[in-house]
Amino acid sequence: MGLTVFKPFQARPVLFTGALLWLTMIAFAQTQAQADELQPERVQDLRYGWALYEYHQGNAFEALTQLAVAREQGGIDGHGDHPALVEGGLMLSWGMTREASRLFTQLLGDDGSGSTLSPDVRNQAWFYLGKVFYLEGDRELAGENLGRVDGDILAEANHNLFREWIYLRARLAMMSSRLGEESELALLQAQLEDTDIWSLYLQYNSAVSALAGGDAVTAEAKLQALIAIIEQATDSVEPEAEREGLLDRARLSLARLHLRDNQFDAALEVLGNMPLNGVFADQALFDYAVAAAGQGRPERALDALDTLSNRDLFLPWRQQVPFARAYVLEQMDKPQQALPAFKRAANHYQTRIEELGDIRNRLSEESLMAQLDFSRDSDGILTDSYGRLRVKPVDFGMAEVLASETFQQALAELNELYRMQSFIAERQSRFESFRIMLETREQQRQVRIAQTRQALENQQADQWQQSHREFRRAISAALADQDAGFFMTSEQKALRDKLNEVEETLAGLPDDATTASQRATYQRMRAYFDWWIADDYGVNRWAAQKQLRELDREMERFQAQRQRVENLMGDDARHAELARRIAASERELATLGEEVADALGNARQALLRQVDEMLAAQQEELNGYLLASRHAQARLADQLFRASQRAGAGDE
Amino acid sequence: MATCLNSRFPALLAALTLALTAPAFAQTNPGGEKDATAVAEQVEALKKKVIRLNRDLFILEEDLLFPANTQVAVFLSVDTGKFLKLEAVKLKVDDEIVASHLYTERQAKALERGGMQRLYVGNLKTGAHQMTAFVEGIGPDQRPYKQAASLEFEKGTGTAALEIRVEDRSSNYQPSVSIVEWE
Repeated sequence: MGLTVFKPFQARPVLFTGALLWLTMIAFAQTQAQADELQPERVQDLRYGWALYEYHQGNAFEALTQLAVAREQGGIDGHGDHPALVEGGLMLSWGMTREASRLFTQLLGDDGSGSTLSPDVRNQAWFYLGKVFYLEGDRELAGENLGRVDGDILAEANHNLFREWIYLRARLAMMSSRLGEESELALLQAQLEDTDIWSLYLQYNSAVSALAGGDAVTAEAKLQALIAIIEQATDSVEPEAEREGLLDRARLSLARLHLRDNQFDAALEVLGNMPLNGVFADQALFDYAVAAAGQGRPERALDALDTLSNRDLFLPWRQQVPFARAYVLEQMDKPQQALPAFKRAANHYQTRIEELGDIRNRLSEESLMAQLDFSRDSDGILTDSYGRLRVKPVDFGMAEVLASETFQQALAELNELYRMQSFIAERQSRFESFRIMLETREQQRQVRIAQTRQALENQQADQWQQSHREFRRAISAALADQDAGFFMTSEQKALRDKLNEVEETLAGLPDDATTASQRATYQRMRAYFDWWIADDYGVNRWAAQKQLRELDREMERFQAQRQRVENLMGDDARHAELARRIAASERELATLGEEVADALGNARQALLRQVDEMLAAQQEELNGYLLASRHAQARLADQLFRASQRAGAGDE
Repeated sequence: MATCLNSRFPALLAALTLALTAPAFAQTNPGGEKDATAVAEQVEALKKKVIRLNRDLFILEEDLLFPANTQVAVFLSVDTGKFLKLEAVKLKVDDEIVASHLYTERQAKALERGGMQRLYVGNLKTGAHQMTAFVEGIGPDQRPYKQAASLEFEKGTGTAALEIRVEDRSSNYQPSVSIVEWE
């Protein structure tokens, strides 16, 4: 275990936790000063509310699906750019960092102009975007986005983020080879309290940079200063474990610098201050053994190594302990004890090499998974906020590879791919249901069609149409004949019938003086009637034509309606469209299934290759120790043999 | 002795020297990282496709089961949950129970943070309908609390959306439940 050059981004979950808080803020678009006073604002779009419901339960996939559905159905109203920002955050949490970066960049642009987000939200979005790029190792884009953050606004809105922002920029400055980086770094560091955890990490990394640059003296001075600051600081807000971890790390690094320079006393003094139950206790113990041996006190070295020997030796770096223990015994001039110790060491290495060979030969996904102990709950394997699986090695030999970022990533991706595969299988099983739904829908439609046809028949629509046609024909004929009688009103027709009756009655009476006046009256009435009919012809004809036009319109509407119903009954475009969508989705799902299977193969291979490479490296290292142990065995056996011969010769 | 030990501790010192001077030595080889990046990109592209496909299937399912002209969706929202810790809800439409739900702590928290649950989606004919929601939880003074709310509404030819609102009423320190129709 060497010096580590960055703040151990256990802070990746911290990023997510921070991003979560930030997203919570932006999701509700609040600007209250105190985070604990934040009140959720009522959502103005149901689909967005639904997406947030999934999001707050940590169901990133479901939330992203709802946002995609909302976008497909016309977007989300009333929340400006916030849904897009939430979507970016969800993508981050679901491991879609590239897509999240694209979305953020598109959303925030170069200066955020046109965005409806407040300067504070934009500021924090740039911060997280910059941090994503930093974690992805893209220093240029990280620097660009972190550079867009307004420090004053960030410091006021969220001082913790401000401190981290300073740290990230300082780290970028350290990694950069630009001129003036030193002064920039000093300016940045000056903005943090000396006892601030971020400042402490910076000081540690600064020591590492000095060492990497070949300046061991500066590195040592920086580490000593760092240790002194941590030891003196008592009023820290940071968790004690983190500071203690950094303190131990700094002490271990300083001790190793002393060891490198053969300053064994100094190394022992530093290591002596380290707790035996700390994170780095084992490494410290081993270094202590080296320092004690270097100081000429092999018995202390042996004590330390014996303590280590009693621990599990499967951690790869501890493989040197059996050899070292035997070697110290040899240096203590105890060849009788050293020889069997070397023998045990050689046997241990031999056995371990064979075990590793066996593991490599049988290495498969199944055997690999059998070596891993996954933390699970009722929903399956537990993951951290970045989708990494919570897993411990069954065999500690796996610890090193398990701790590597690439292995963790590959493992998480393998898990994601399996989840996708199970999603695909589940969705495939639903297509049958979809087809049944479609069939049922069609049956219901046929039932409705039959009912509609019955209703149309009951309306006797054809008879009505026939009557309409006849009426129209009669009116046309009357118009052509200028048949005023045809257009008479009901009152006129009643009067005409009466006059006809009178005429008929008069025709049956004798034509004499007694009926003359009646005939004259009838004649006057008839003349008046004829004049009236002739006079009203225009009005009556217009009234009839008006009625006809209205009837025409109604009949036209009726016909159109009927036609539409007929079309709907005859046309199955909707059904066909749904059937087409089902078939297209099924095809797409099948293609996706193949792609996932392909990706699964790649992920599996990548994972196994990493493990195999790690095992091969372990084997090679063990081979070295095996060889050295056997040489030592031979040397000691020879030495003892010679000594026994000398003793025998002396006796003689 | 020290010099002697140093010279005869090659393995130990070599390991230490490596540890001191090559902090990044333990990293995996660049080829491996390249592979990992390729797989990561492949997985991310697949995730994008899965989201799109899930979206399409979701819409398709809704179109098949709940056509827009008959669809009714009922959502539930909670205020900050100050006066009511939501535990269960039951929904009746035209005197028939159509949905009920028991809330986990995680779901209740998600609601209190501003999320909205789609409690029910179904089909209703056009015309007048009655909806009643029964909400249960822990109310003020940690006592079990029940409240109901009703709404008569007219189902038109478009999609109908209703919201059961559980709000904190600071005027009397009591929760209030209401059903609101979304336009």
